[in-house]
Amino acid sequence: MTGSIFACYFQALLSQDSPLSGYSWYEYLHDTYHNIEGNFFIDTQSLYGKENNSMTGSVTLEELYQCRSQRAQALHDAGQKVIGYFCCYVPDEIIAAFDMLPYRIQGSQNEPIDQADVHMETMACPFARSCFNLALNGKYDFLDGFVIPHTCDTLEHLYVIWQETRPLSLTHFVNVPHMLSPSSATFYRQELNTFIVALKTWSGQKLDTGKLREAVRVYNSRRAALRDLYELRKADPPLVSGAEVTKAVVAGMGIPATEHIELIRAFITEVKARQKAKKDQRPRIFLWGNELDDAAFIRLVEESGAHVVMDDLCTGTRFFWEDVPETEDPLDGIVTRYLNTHCPRTNLPQAATREADLENRFGHIGRFVREWKVNGVIFYIVRYCDTCELEGPDLREYLQGMKLPVLMIEDDYSTSTIGQLRTRVQAFLEMIA
Amino acid sequence: MENTEKIKTTAVKGTKAAQKVRGFVKNIYRSAQEAKAQGKKVSYVMVSSHYDEILRAMDIVPLPTENFAGLCAAKREMDRFLLKAEEDGYSQVLCSYARIGLGFDSLRKELGGIPENSPDGGMPMPDMMVGSSNVCDPRFKWFQATGRFLDAPHHSIDVVKPPVHADLKAVQNYYVRYQQAQFEELIAFLEKHTGKKLDKERLWETLRLGDEACRLWYETDRLRVAVPSPMPSQDRFSIMVPAYYYTGTQEAVDFYRELYEEVKYRVDNKIGTAGEQRYRVLYGGGLPPWHTLWIFNYFESFGAAFVMENVYRVHDPVEVPSHVKDPVEYLAWRTFLRLTSSHEKAKANSGNIEVERLLDLIRDYRIDGVVFHACRSCRATTLGQIHTKNRLSQFTDMPMTQLVSDMVDLRDYSEAQWKAQIGAFIEALAGREKTA
Repeated sequence: MTGSIFACYFQALLSQDSPLSGYSWYEYLHDTYHNIEGNFFIDTQSLYGKENNSMTGSVTLEELYQCRSQRAQALHDAGQKVIGYFCCYVPDEIIAAFDMLPYRIQGSQNEPIDQADVHMETMACPFARSCFNLALNGKYDFLDGFVIPHTCDTLEHLYVIWQETRPLSLTHFVNVPHMLSPSSATFYRQELNTFIVALKTWSGQKLDTGKLREAVRVYNSRRAALRDLYELRKADPPLVSGAEVTKAVVAGMGIPATEHIELIRAFITEVKARQKAKKDQRPRIFLWGNELDDAAFIRLVEESGAHVVMDDLCTGTRFFWEDVPETEDPLDGIVTRYLNTHCPRTNLPQAATREADLENRFGHIGRFVREWKVNGVIFYIVRYCDTCELEGPDLREYLQGMKLPVLMIEDDYSTSTIGQLRTRVQAFLEMIA
Repeated sequence: MENTEKIKTTAVKGTKAAQKVRGFVKNIYRSAQEAKAQGKKVSYVMVSSHYDEILRAMDIVPLPTENFAGLCAAKREMDRFLLKAEEDGYSQVLCSYARIGLGFDSLRKELGGIPENSPDGGMPMPDMMVGSSNVCDPRFKWFQATGRFLDAPHHSIDVVKPPVHADLKAVQNYYVRYQQAQFEELIAFLEKHTGKKLDKERLWETLRLGDEACRLWYETDRLRVAVPSPMPSQDRFSIMVPAYYYTGTQEAVDFYRELYEEVKYRVDNKIGTAGEQRYRVLYGGGLPPWHTLWIFNYFESFGAAFVMENVYRVHDPVEVPSHVKDPVEYLAWRTFLRLTSSHEKAKANSGNIEVERLLDLIRDYRIDGVVFHACRSCRATTLGQIHTKNRLSQFTDMPMTQLVSDMVDLRDYSEAQWKAQIGAFIEALAGREKTA
């Protein structure tokens, strides 16, 4: 209820005609919160200690998490172009350098898929189907264009289906190499150039290299802010819950990076000011999988008696962890950064031995696990993701080599099925406690 | 007691050529087993990756793991491999070809040799594995995963295709260059693991043979526009074997020449496939149900003959620019041109490559109805069928249906459900016939 009240105020505020239009949206979010009853962080407060400041960052992030499209909708209404995209392979920086808003398309685990099945087989990734379903229901009408990278078979097909069912004036497909070699980088760069040409033609604007360079700096600042937030999870117990962190990351996927940075920094300040909780014996969990843009499952794990302290998810570290190198030609750095995203859909050249190969593929996870002092790993795979399904057993072998227990869960991207997982999660946590 | 009676899975073939294909299949595995004994190099491969002729030119014996999965299904010998893969942690929704391959490799490792009674003697241990991103994701990921069960080097290549609305002239150059580089990197891998340089003259020869087999197959398909239909779809699912698994060989060329002659004879003498051909049906897409190919004969019993297919298609003829003098560059051009051969036409009409192809087939082959096969574990060939069906219905009112099972996993198949659906489809064909 609070969310809907807030959404109305928020829309009114951001309307160009609103008498409040000179008022900072951020200040407004903050002030409005104090006029609304309720607190979104009650559960996690009891776990992570009481607040002793105004909670501005967390409340605003929570609101954005609950109403993810509100800010993008407002900017679209105000005349800014909003470009939706999927996955971790479309550089935000390029879209932002055209003064457009990059909007990471997300689904809804709470809304049933009631339209998409008319157009798309049910054996497709339910996350992708959910996103498309939202589009069919008009929830993505604020998008001026969308870009789909060739991440997987489902997205390749979704591009055609979406484009022909809900056409927009800009639709673009970026071919992303599955292989990593010098020729792959050259090809991906050319694909990004083709994408830039498409944006130029569509918008009538030129790409200013200075703006692209600046976008790289801004998005790297966001990455740094998010990494700082993740640092707070190293403490024992962590200063911030996994559910809070996921919300904070996801909330910012459809707003200008500068605003997200401000919110994350405010949230970090707020978290650091929290009264430290006592040490406990709860296991520290690492989460691996694909698209998890809803905190429900993480909350389930935490409510079952664990701390979710680190992840390798499309909506987590995979999305933001590595910086774009600040190169003279900014596109060089962008190509390097995005092509090397750690994702099961990309094949690294095989190393000389099995051990070396696993280290090459999963070494970044090994480092996370050691630094965040992880006790157990949960795989949360949104069903029908062939590359994750093939990667999982190899990663489990690697982690078991580190003496880490693994629980492998395959789910339907729906909060209605999450309850069924509670028993499995509890049994796993009991086993490793 | 378990019923050990042999279960019927295959269909009655229409042509003599198709009846010879079983020998080609057996020979795939026999050749690989003999090659191992003779010290020749054997490689797991993903067929139709556009690199096939390179392996032939380097005398590497190809071992097509997907074909083995289909063979297991046709022999109803898939369960132990599927279950083994699932026991090893692979999801039941993962590509069932991959599950059979992974399960087989796992069992072979566990048993210390090829599992007893494996179809056609099973697959020997490969010396290397070569995947590709052509068609689907598991085709480049599967060999990496099976590294758990066998110690062999693997390498995969990208096969890239621009979307239908791409400006082909603008992207052509860098797509071809990337494809060429991917082939060159593969050649370096193969040279390293065979200790042998690629002979480019040999490659020209295998390319020539590959192109010739393709041309003959294409010409045969064009003959199939005839009424009555001289060759049914169940034959297609056999006769694709030489083109896909013997790419770049004289055997394949000889086979398609013979097939062409046979089909031409049947057309010239108006010899149709068995039974009354009251309705001409198009197999609209999806991998075939290898576990139940006799279902095509079931359709025929109602007078519905499958006369053409939109799967395992032979490539349209393409013309590589004459300035190309290097066989690897030729291969890169051929790949690009084959993969984009329908783009301009689709762009000018429906805007959808699949829809455009099907409309062409419906018109040329005088089709009365379309049947799709959705495979629960194959996203690449299944996703988009509903959309294609929806789009097609904007152009035609002919009956269309989508049967659902899997290419090899029988647990996704229901004979009763299929028969009910087929009955309704036949009624719709009859109803349309009356109206016409």
